[in-house]
Amino acid sequence: MMSWKFSTAAAVAFVLAASAASAETIKIGFNTPQTGFAAADGKSALTGAQIAVDTVNAAGGVNGKKLELVVYDDQAKPKFAVPIATKLIQQDKVALGISGSYSAPTRASAGVYQNAKVPYISAYAVHPDVTRAGNYVFRTGILGSVQGKAAAKLIGDTLGKKRVVITIMKNDYGKSLAAGFRSVMADYGIQVIKEYQYSLRDRQFGPIVSSIKADNPDAIFDTGYWFVAAPFVSQLRSGGVKAVVVGQEGYDGVKFIEIAKKAAEGVIIVTALDRDSKEPEVRDFMTEFEKRTGYGADMVGASGHAAVMVAAAALKKAGSTDRVAIREALASIEVKAITGVLSFNVLGEVQKGLKVQEVRNGRWRYHSKIVDAKLLTPPEK
Amino acid sequence: MNYSDLLVQGLVEGCIYALIAVGLTLVYGLLRILHIAHAGIFTLGAYIGLLLTNETGSFAAAFVITVVVVGFFGMAFYRLFYEPLLDKPPHVALIASIGLFIAMEEIYRMVFGATSLSFLAPPLKDTVTVAGVRLEEGRVVVVVLAVVLIGGLAVLAGRTRIGIAWRATVSDAAMAESFGIDLARVRYVNFFVASAMAAAAGIMVALLLNQVIPTMGGVPAYKALAIIVLGGLGNVRGTLIAALALGVIESFGTIYLDRVLDRDAIAFAFLIAVLMIRPQGLFIRR
Amino acid sequence: MYEISLLTVMSFSVIFALSLNLITGFCGQISLGHAAFYGIGAYSAALFTTGGGSFWLALPIAMAVAGFFGFIVGFASLRVRHDFLAITTMGVGFLFTGFVRQQEFLGGEEGIAGIPDPGIGQIPYMLLCAAFAAAVIAFSLYLKRSWMGHAFDAIATDEDTARTLGIDVARYKLTAFVFGTGLAGLAGALFAHYVKFVEVESFDFIESISVLAMVIVGGIGSIWGVVVAAAVLSVLPLLLQVFADYKLLIYGVLLFTVMYFAPGGVDSLMQTLWRRISGRQRRDKGQ
Repeated sequence: MMSWKFSTAAAVAFVLAASAASAETIKIGFNTPQTGFAAADGKSALTGAQIAVDTVNAAGGVNGKKLELVVYDDQAKPKFAVPIATKLIQQDKVALGISGSYSAPTRASAGVYQNAKVPYISAYAVHPDVTRAGNYVFRTGILGSVQGKAAAKLIGDTLGKKRVVITIMKNDYGKSLAAGFRSVMADYGIQVIKEYQYSLRDRQFGPIVSSIKADNPDAIFDTGYWFVAAPFVSQLRSGGVKAVVVGQEGYDGVKFIEIAKKAAEGVIIVTALDRDSKEPEVRDFMTEFEKRTGYGADMVGASGHAAVMVAAAALKKAGSTDRVAIREALASIEVKAITGVLSFNVLGEVQKGLKVQEVRNGRWRYHSKIVDAKLLTPPEK
Repeated sequence: MNYSDLLVQGLVEGCIYALIAVGLTLVYGLLRILHIAHAGIFTLGAYIGLLLTNETGSFAAAFVITVVVVGFFGMAFYRLFYEPLLDKPPHVALIASIGLFIAMEEIYRMVFGATSLSFLAPPLKDTVTVAGVRLEEGRVVVVVLAVVLIGGLAVLAGRTRIGIAWRATVSDAAMAESFGIDLARVRYVNFFVASAMAAAAGIMVALLLNQVIPTMGGVPAYKALAIIVLGGLGNVRGTLIAALALGVIESFGTIYLDRVLDRDAIAFAFLIAVLMIRPQGLFIRR
Repeated sequence: MYEISLLTVMSFSVIFALSLNLITGFCGQISLGHAAFYGIGAYSAALFTTGGGSFWLALPIAMAVAGFFGFIVGFASLRVRHDFLAITTMGVGFLFTGFVRQQEFLGGEEGIAGIPDPGIGQIPYMLLCAAFAAAVIAFSLYLKRSWMGHAFDAIATDEDTARTLGIDVARYKLTAFVFGTGLAGLAGALFAHYVKFVEVESFDFIESISVLAMVIVGGIGSIWGVVVAAAVLSVLPLLLQVFADYKLLIYGVLLFTVMYFAPGGVDSLMQTLWRRISGRQRRDKGQ
């Protein structure tokens, strides 16, 4: 019921925001799935973004003006994302856009933003092509390939496990994680004994589990999202596979633990959010997020929050809503967001350190940090 | 690689398909409607079962209540949505059913939220060893349920008055009516049974995955359509065999066919191949 | 501009819907997998122009490739009928997405990005799509009145009677499939060069249902009804942004309501309305 109230409130807020549009606000475009299969992530991303907007506005806004999110539902589909990007740029005249959506719609709209020379920030879409659309496109989420490299270091170096099975979710996210992992695994003495693929619609992993049991690996690197990963990990454990499971940002949310229950214990992930962080910004965000949604903060929500914070900082630095100035500001900015200290390279990819979290007693807890700057450097083209 | 593992896993999956598909084929057999919204009823079963379990703390009680409640819901569903469309061309009910399915998914999203719901304390999670294969208790229960419910259905159809009335209506509705069979009653019972079985499948899938989402009906729904066609639309025994066969084929296909074809497409590749050779399905209607 | 964007979407949606109307409306062969041919057109055009080919050449190529696969699937319609055909074509749709997902050269699940702009500007591109839509409307009108249109009609009404009348049912069915899928390929190519990015989810079962919905809401076989339904339904989700949360619900309820109250679609509604108005006028004049 909580979320029903919340979504109604969001709809009302949205209508009000749309009608109250005036010259005193700075508009930020936000495309996100609010209906259809991706609606859950869309809700989290939007909530994170709205918390950021409210925080900024409560502190007096930017350059004396309040921020305003102009939100459209793209159902995570490219065919809706393109007209929405056009509308945000030409009709709503947003200062810049943020994608709170998946890779496919983000890739489609990135081209529209680039052509119109309007800055665009991808909050959690990970496909490498997003930022290749041009110099107006940035990404605050960390690239899949970089996360994959970090996971290789974690498994081979920190944990000292060498015989590894990779399970690949068949989309851009899973594939780029696996590619990143493979590219550096030799450096950590890791040997991949087998790879499996599954679709993000799969929920029954019996056959793969049986096969992994026969492989008997030391560690499993899984590249799936929480809603696929939770049943996968449960089925691994009930199938008698005891190898340590290493996940990534896609696991990062309380839902993973809620679903996998006991099987979640001991799962280790590479991510950008440290839940044991003492920083007040992080603590406040987590409290506020749970208050608004009724469930604990997840990585997608944190990403939406970070993207808005970066946008606000860029607007402040630019001192105006001039789109060229905002782009310049983004290119040279350094922002302390809840997902770490963020700055962009030439391609518009983010540079930041990563955290390692582990499930202990039904909660995500601090495990270690990965600060290998060379390893975590994103590609420049 | 342990083949018996793959075989058993496939059979368990096949039992889930069977629980969904048998209801679908029953509806088709009687009304000639491709009941896509059956998947929405499956999801409804999952939601009610999960919420009742979390509320009462008893999975068994929640299971029984849900199956009965959703069975009655199915009857109401038929009365409200399908009965007025019976004399229209077949595509009318098909499209109406698709529209209903989309609407149901959206209503679930608005009422229960877009993010998944889980059991607070999921039961039947311990593992047992059956014929050298480690299985979660929940999976064993799925097999038992499939055997009991579908076996019970066979007894119902063969031994009871309503079963005989049902079979008569399937083979010739007009003739059955002229013999004094109450068609409306047969159809209500039919929808009750079909929906109750879908609900049972829904709760068991919810338990096995410990996750219920508004769109969980999609993939099983489409596969169930392939299964009932393979089984020879309206043929319960054929549907059962097709469901188990598909479960096993997918199980091996996940490991051996992976690079060629997506797992969800295997059912349809198999279906098309069969239909081109035998246009009436693997088994003839009976 | 935003309106131009909407008009472009409407135009290729009209082509796509009319292409299915040829198969399902005119010839009576139900298809639940038409998005596959839309996808085949989009993917072949995308592969061709990203490989350096010209946009103008990509259009006929997309039509030819889609039409070729349509020809093959058309044979299925000779083997199975009615509900069996519905499920078979649905299977074709799932085979298409299942196959594309696993093929590296088609971009797998990630799709193909960086499709080059046709280079004629936003407004001329909209006009081009609109011109194609107009041409397909004209072609449909012509076809409906031609001998072939009557043959299609006879098959749609009763295949067995058509056969006894000496109509070569197989030939006409295949023709309908080739025309229909070829035009879907054209729509797909235009879509691909509008979005400049194709991925398999754009051509899934839901898309097949959406286009079938356009045909059915418009009125099966009716040309103007389908044009109106396609134009409205294609941009409805964008226009309904105000109802953000209820959009898909409205869509689902709309499908059901039209089937429940007006299974003949917009077309029959308009005709009933027209008959009432003209009937009243005639009565008025008589008095």
